[in-house]
Parts: sequence; C-alpha cells; structure tokens
Amino acid sequence: MGESLNRAATPELLHYRPWRGEFRTPAASVWPIARVALMSIFQKWMFWIIYILGLLIFLLFFFGQYLLSWAETQAGESDVQLGGWGRMNPRHLIALFRGFLKLDGSAESYRGFFAYQGYIVMIVLALAGSILIGNDLRFGSLPYYLSKPLSRWHYLLGKGLAVAVFINLMTTLPAVVLFAQWGVLESWEYLFERFDLLLGILGYGLVLTVTLTVLLLATATWLRRTVPLIMMWTTLFFFCRLLSAAMVDGLRFSPRWRLIDLWNSTSLIGAACLGLDLETIRPGNQPPWYEAALALGGVSLLCLTYLIHRIRGVEIVR
Amino acid sequence: MGQIAANDRRTTIDLRNLSRWYGDFQALCDITFQMAPGRVGLLGPNGAGKSSLLKILLGLLPPSSGTGHVLGHVIGVEGTALRRAIGYMPEADALVPGLRGADYVALAGELYGMTRREAQRRAHEVLTYLELEDARYRRLEEYSTGMKQRLKLAQALVHDPPLLLLDEPTSGLDPAGREAMLRLLLTLGRDHNKSILLSTHLLGDVERVCDSVLILHKGRLLLQGGVAELCRRRQDRYRLQIQGDATAFREELRLEGVQILHDNGRGELRVAVPSQWVTRAFFTLADNHRVLLRGLQPDDEDLEELFHRVLKDET
Repeated sequence: MGESLNRAATPELLHYRPWRGEFRTPAASVWPIARVALMSIFQKWMFWIIYILGLLIFLLFFFGQYLLSWAETQAGESDVQLGGWGRMNPRHLIALFRGFLKLDGSAESYRGFFAYQGYIVMIVLALAGSILIGNDLRFGSLPYYLSKPLSRWHYLLGKGLAVAVFINLMTTLPAVVLFAQWGVLESWEYLFERFDLLLGILGYGLVLTVTLTVLLLATATWLRRTVPLIMMWTTLFFFCRLLSAAMVDGLRFSPRWRLIDLWNSTSLIGAACLGLDLETIRPGNQPPWYEAALALGGVSLLCLTYLIHRIRGVEIVR
Repeated sequence: MGQIAANDRRTTIDLRNLSRWYGDFQALCDITFQMAPGRVGLLGPNGAGKSSLLKILLGLLPPSSGTGHVLGHVIGVEGTALRRAIGYMPEADALVPGLRGADYVALAGELYGMTRREAQRRAHEVLTYLELEDARYRRLEEYSTGMKQRLKLAQALVHDPPLLLLDEPTSGLDPAGREAMLRLLLTLGRDHNKSILLSTHLLGDVERVCDSVLILHKGRLLLQGGVAELCRRRQDRYRLQIQGDATAFREELRLEGVQILHDNGRGELRVAVPSQWVTRAFFTLADNHRVLLRGLQPDDEDLEELFHRVLKDET
C-alpha cells in the first residue's frame, strides 16, 4: 500500500534513457560469473573459519621452516643435552627435525603440504558446492544466466573458475609461497636449481583444480543441497579409500583397485609431478601414475558429459 | 544480407513454417507469422506451445523444421547475437541469492557484454527508471513480489534491447502492482519504441498493452490479428443472483437474446449478453416479472472459454 502511494506521489521526472555502447565477447562474461560465485561463498562466515583453518596448516609449514632456519643460525658447535638420552650436536638435531617433519624444501615437503591442505579443501568444497551451483538450479538462477548471450560452456567455465580460484588460494598459492620462502631462507640458487619443483607444485595444483572442479560441479548439479553433497563426497573420498585399502591391502587384490580412490589418484599424479618415486608413497603397492591419470580423466569426462546434458538452455522457460 | 537488413526494418520476428518436435510429440506445428515492430500478445493455455516458441526465439532450442529471423538474426544459428538483441524476462523468479538489486542488474549488464563500470552505471539508471532506487541495495531475498517483477524487467532492459520477450510479467502481482507493470510496459513500447512480445494467459494484460495478438493452441497458430478484433469476439457475461419465481424471467431473457450458460437451480445464473446490451435491462426485466435481483456481477468470458469458442468457430 505504502509502495503504491509512494509510486503515485513520485513525479514523472524519471525517463528511460537509451544506451549506446560496444558489447564485449561472450568470453568476457566468465569472470563476472566467477566473481559473483566467489562473493556468494565469502558472504558466509563459516567459509572464513574454514579458510582460516586452512591457513593454519600453511602457517605451520611457513613458521616451521622459518624457525628451523633461525635455530640453525643460533646453534653453537657444542652438543646439547637431550633429557636423559645423551648429548647431540644441534645441527644434527635440526636436520633430524627437518627430515622428520619434511620441512626441508624437498618434493616430499610440498606433497605433505598438498595432502594436509587437500583435506580442508575437500570439506570446504563439499560445503560450497550447493552455494556455487546447486542454488542456481534450486532457485531458478540458471534461466537468468542462460538467457544472456553466452553458452553453457561460458557458464560452466565461470563456475569452474570460482572453484579453481578457491582451490588454488588454499593449495597452490601457499605452496608457491613456501617454495619462495625456502629460497629466501636457504639460498637464492634453490629457486633456480629446483625450478622443477615449482613446476611440480603448479602441476599438482592443476591436477587438483581440474579434478575437484569438474567433480564438484557435477555432484552439485546432481544433488544441489549441502547435506547430500557432503554424503556424496564422504563416499567418494572416505569410503572409497577404505574400500580400496581393504581390497588391495586386506584381500590382496590388484593394486588397480586403488584407482577407485580418487584422492589417492590425485596424490599419485601429484607425486609424479613433483618427481617422487612410487616407492615413497604410503600405503605401498600403488598402480602407476598414468593409470591414475586415465582413471581421473575418465571420471572428469563422465562428469563433463553429465554437466553438458544437465546445464541446458531449454530449462529457461517453464 | 541486404535483404535481411531490409527485412529487419519491417519485421522484428519473421517465422516461416516453423515446427518443433519432442520425440513423437509435436509442440509447434507449422507456425508462420511476421511481427512488425510493436507490441504483440502471445496468448495460449498451458501446453499451447508458448514456452517452446519463446525458447526458439531466444535461440536456446533449434526448430525441427522451418526457418525464422529475429531482428535479422537467423534462428538456430546465431544464438548469441540473438540473445544480445533480446531482453528476456522469465516467469520464474530467476534471482541469484545473496546479491543486492543493483548488483543483480549490473551482473546482467556484464553478461550481456558491457564493461563493469558501464553495467553498474546503467543498472542504477534502469533501477531509478523502474522506481526501485530506494531498494537497490537490498538483498534480493528481501524484495516483494512486485519489486521482483520490476527487477526482472530491469535486468531485461539493462542493455537497451530493441525487443523484449516477457513471460507472464504480471504473475503474482496485486491489482495495483499489475496496473503499474502494465503501464510501464505500455510506456516502454509506445514511447521508447521497444518491440514487446508478451506471453500471458491473461487477456486483460494483452488488451491493456498490445496492439496485436497471436493465439496458440496445441502448437498451432489459432488466431492472429488485432487486439480490438479479439475483444470484439469476447462475450460480455454476468453472474446474476435472483429471488422469486424465475421461470418467466428466464424465458424473457432468452427472448431478448441473452444466453443462459449456467443455472444452479438455487437462483444463481450465469448469462452471456448480446453486444448492445445495457445492464439496466436486467433490472427492468426482473421488475416486470416480480423477481428480486439480489446480485449482478460482470463475469466476462475468460481466456479459456474464449479459446474454446474460437476453436469451435474455427473448426
């Protein structure tokens, strides 16, 4: 009523103005879609909490590396007493810590970081899936996007870019910072001599990004709501892991059964990117990385096929 | 190309023998029509094929057979260019949860290909024009139905398209909101040269805004013509409540050319009157036959009834 009165009282001063300008290509719509999706995620306080939790792991690695480096410069030549176990040279002690905690700028250090950070990423993505894409289907936002001059590929790229930014903010970017930090702390030459590690980090990040993005888009499109999505991700990344372990380690089936554990497959390819041998991977008895790549490629292809069939412009008119 | 350009000036939409099949089901059958720049109502009951036609016009669904152009763009081939030339207002909410009104409209501008700065500026302009300036920083979830409808119109207008496809724009609005929306659409079409294709099942909306009409029924174009012509075909109907012995009254009505459509036997009649009928005649006849006329309500033929009658006439 008030609204109507207000409208009636508004003088006819406001006129429609035509707009003349140049339109950009449909590809330019990818980033706005991603930006809005990211904004929707970061509007939720829960994601900030989980993101800060994710940062704690990064900070552990960052300050762990820094403290061990600093301790090395402070250590004297004389041995130190280790409780009742005897005496030890402090430099040996620091080397022992570095080796044990894998805070030594080695490929294993970055693999460890990716592995720990990956768990947080998975939790975040399971929670974010419904906000990123499920809500578009639940609340009818899809017609809004697809009635614009863009294809479903642009829509999917936009949503995928949002997921990719999120994954890389939590994994690849901090790993690159750790790489740079080690170069600064130890030797600038490390940055050039171990450039292969930087490429490995980017490769690992790419594998995680592509796999998790496609998988998240497909599962969120299918299930839409948060709780079923969490259940699905738990099945994919937890029960499949248990099942594969039971089949390979318990029942002594072929190591190929480990391929049903998608997280293990990403770790295998990631390890290959970082140049790590298959023998260094725990649990042992693993399939070769290229089989893992094939398995992940197959799953990604299936997900993409599903997405192309599901995200259709014909939903536009009810 | 020259032909298309020349054609473009005369017609906004040009469809020729357009059909669409979904498996064995034919949703659209041999649709041929030319829409000149102006305001056209697309009327039809559920399942008439309106949605399929809109999908095809938006370039989201290719026709199974036939050809068509929208503003010179070939349907089924130039989907992106086609959607850029069209502003589409869907019937469903189609909102992006969490966004504010201004962000929602600006995002639409960016999706149409405007730069962010241009899209934001234009969003504020359009929202002001649609009298949503006070609500532009509110979250979409807080908008009333009427505001949501105007917001959807804003996102369709943000890139200043020459053609607007509006799907049930007055759906869910109260009478005042409906009147405001229809006035807005009329202004856009009449004063700002927007071509409008208004898909609705409400004859009143078409009557208020459009100057021509298309009626779809079971995928076929049943009627194409001016709104005035359609309204002439609509019957004036009334609902009467009477008290007393109505036998002679009913007989007198029949003699005067009034058609009794329904009689519930408890003094309630629904009647269709001839074109020159004056309401006062009911009271005169009632008085002549000592019947008390307790209630008289205009109850015009609704679209469904008009469809059936037009269909009967056509066949």
